[in-house]
Amino acid sequence: MAREVIRTENLVHVYPNGNVRALRGVNMTIYEGEIVSIIGQNGSGKTTIVRHFNGLLRPTEGKVYLFGEDTANKTVAQMSQRCGYVFQNPNHQIFCTTVREELEIAAKYFNFTEEETRKNCDEVIEMMNLKDIIDAHPMTLDYTTKKVLTIASVLVFKPEVLILDEPTGGLDEVGRRMLTNVLKMMHDNGHTVIIISHDMDYVAENSTRVIMMAQGQVQDDATPREIFKDQEKLKFSQIDPPQITNLDFYLTDRKEDSILSVSEFVRKYEK
Amino acid sequence: MSKPIIELKNFSYRYTHDSPIVLKNITFTINEGDFVGIIGCNKAGKSTLCKSIVGILPFVAGGEWDGEVIVDGKSLNETKGEGVTDVIGIVFQDAESQFTQSTVEDEIAFAMCNFGYDRELMRERVRFAATECDIYDLLGRSPYDLSGGQQQRLAVACILALQPRVVILDESTSQLDPLGRDNIFKLVSKLHEMGKTVIMVDHNIEKIADSADKVLVLHDGEVVMFDEKHKVFSNKQLLNEHFVRLPQVADAAIDLSKSFKGKGDIPITLEEAEKYFGALKRGA
Repeated sequence: MAREVIRTENLVHVYPNGNVRALRGVNMTIYEGEIVSIIGQNGSGKTTIVRHFNGLLRPTEGKVYLFGEDTANKTVAQMSQRCGYVFQNPNHQIFCTTVREELEIAAKYFNFTEEETRKNCDEVIEMMNLKDIIDAHPMTLDYTTKKVLTIASVLVFKPEVLILDEPTGGLDEVGRRMLTNVLKMMHDNGHTVIIISHDMDYVAENSTRVIMMAQGQVQDDATPREIFKDQEKLKFSQIDPPQITNLDFYLTDRKEDSILSVSEFVRKYEK
Repeated sequence: MSKPIIELKNFSYRYTHDSPIVLKNITFTINEGDFVGIIGCNKAGKSTLCKSIVGILPFVAGGEWDGEVIVDGKSLNETKGEGVTDVIGIVFQDAESQFTQSTVEDEIAFAMCNFGYDRELMRERVRFAATECDIYDLLGRSPYDLSGGQQQRLAVACILALQPRVVILDESTSQLDPLGRDNIFKLVSKLHEMGKTVIMVDHNIEKIADSADKVLVLHDGEVVMFDEKHKVFSNKQLLNEHFVRLPQVADAAIDLSKSFKGKGDIPITLEEAEKYFGALKRGA
């Protein structure tokens, strides 16, 4: 059984000045090596819950455990070094004046040696293809490149858990492939990835587990194949499965396993 | 035969004298009433192309260019971009950065105020644009308090109030949730039905395949393809070479074509795919 990485116990969050209970008693355990996608409509509590994993938000009620330890007395720095968080909007994350500085800043903050910082940066620059823009001002970059940079700057300090909030928004095909390589690298190293996404094509093809949230609670928690099988529940949660899954729904018997990608569809219907 | 509304003739552009050429010798014509989806990967030149069509580049923000852009029969080289806003309205990816006013109502009226519109006409146009974009209930709110989807609809309302004949949306949906995105696509489809020319840059291939008539594929500053959408999306090899995804159903139909040939052309929407693959349906 894989090691427990994150666990929440009856997690409740009420934002200040609001009567809205953004999380209403969430119990969730995430294990090492998983690629977990959290899906659900806007306002379902997706971002609220993951912001508890690195201490940006604190529980109103309930507990959050990181690697088995209660996080109540942990600082944001202690939590975020192990649980790296990439914001949805790169403009909310970037603040340095060169790409290199942006990549190095967190590692420096976490007291990595100069040699370690350089080595980690070089690896990430290579993997994310950032060599040509290393001296550029991040704010002069286009949106997609900024987004790639924010992922890269978190990878530099090698967190054991990587949280990505809407990582594919605005990404082109090249960016999506690069992101998939990052997920593979994390997975191969036994690390954990948590993705918040509305991009069901990406979720279906790249997750090992999907947690569906609605109104501050976990509504469903299963493999993507199980999640995308139940058409009624998907409709109720206003989740639109991938186009190819929908086509297979039309052609086939509901009781069968769902199709998650074009290649699976082709294998199924090839004569 | 509809008449050309936007023509590019051997148009090339670069931001500064020593920077790389971003648009390379581009020639195409968009006719009045077309719905054109522009797709292509990052740094293909999509946003530069949109800004060149409205004359922001080079006539406002500078840069070096060659060739010409003709809008509604007038060469921008001669008009220096003046008068383009009478014909074209453009919405950018980050709608919020376009806003300057404290209420939605003032925001929609702002451009009309600058153009010296009559007060009664302004009121009428604000009402029309807000109703069409489904933000009439938000007129008293601050533009900055709106959700991403509402902000994008407000940005469309702002240009719609000027009644342009062409509407350009540059990656307007990339930051929206599925509901917000679907609402923008519904809105532009409605504008298209009203007879407006629509140009939409978007990464959502399935939505572009659903809504557009024609698709322009841009790569590294060059037009790779510009044709009716079925022709574009059935050329898998060329699209893949330029890192552009196909709608999933088209991809599947092409990959299966050796063992299964369905009814009609390669499908590019779910509706078409249900007909195309109909013979494979259980019990069919």
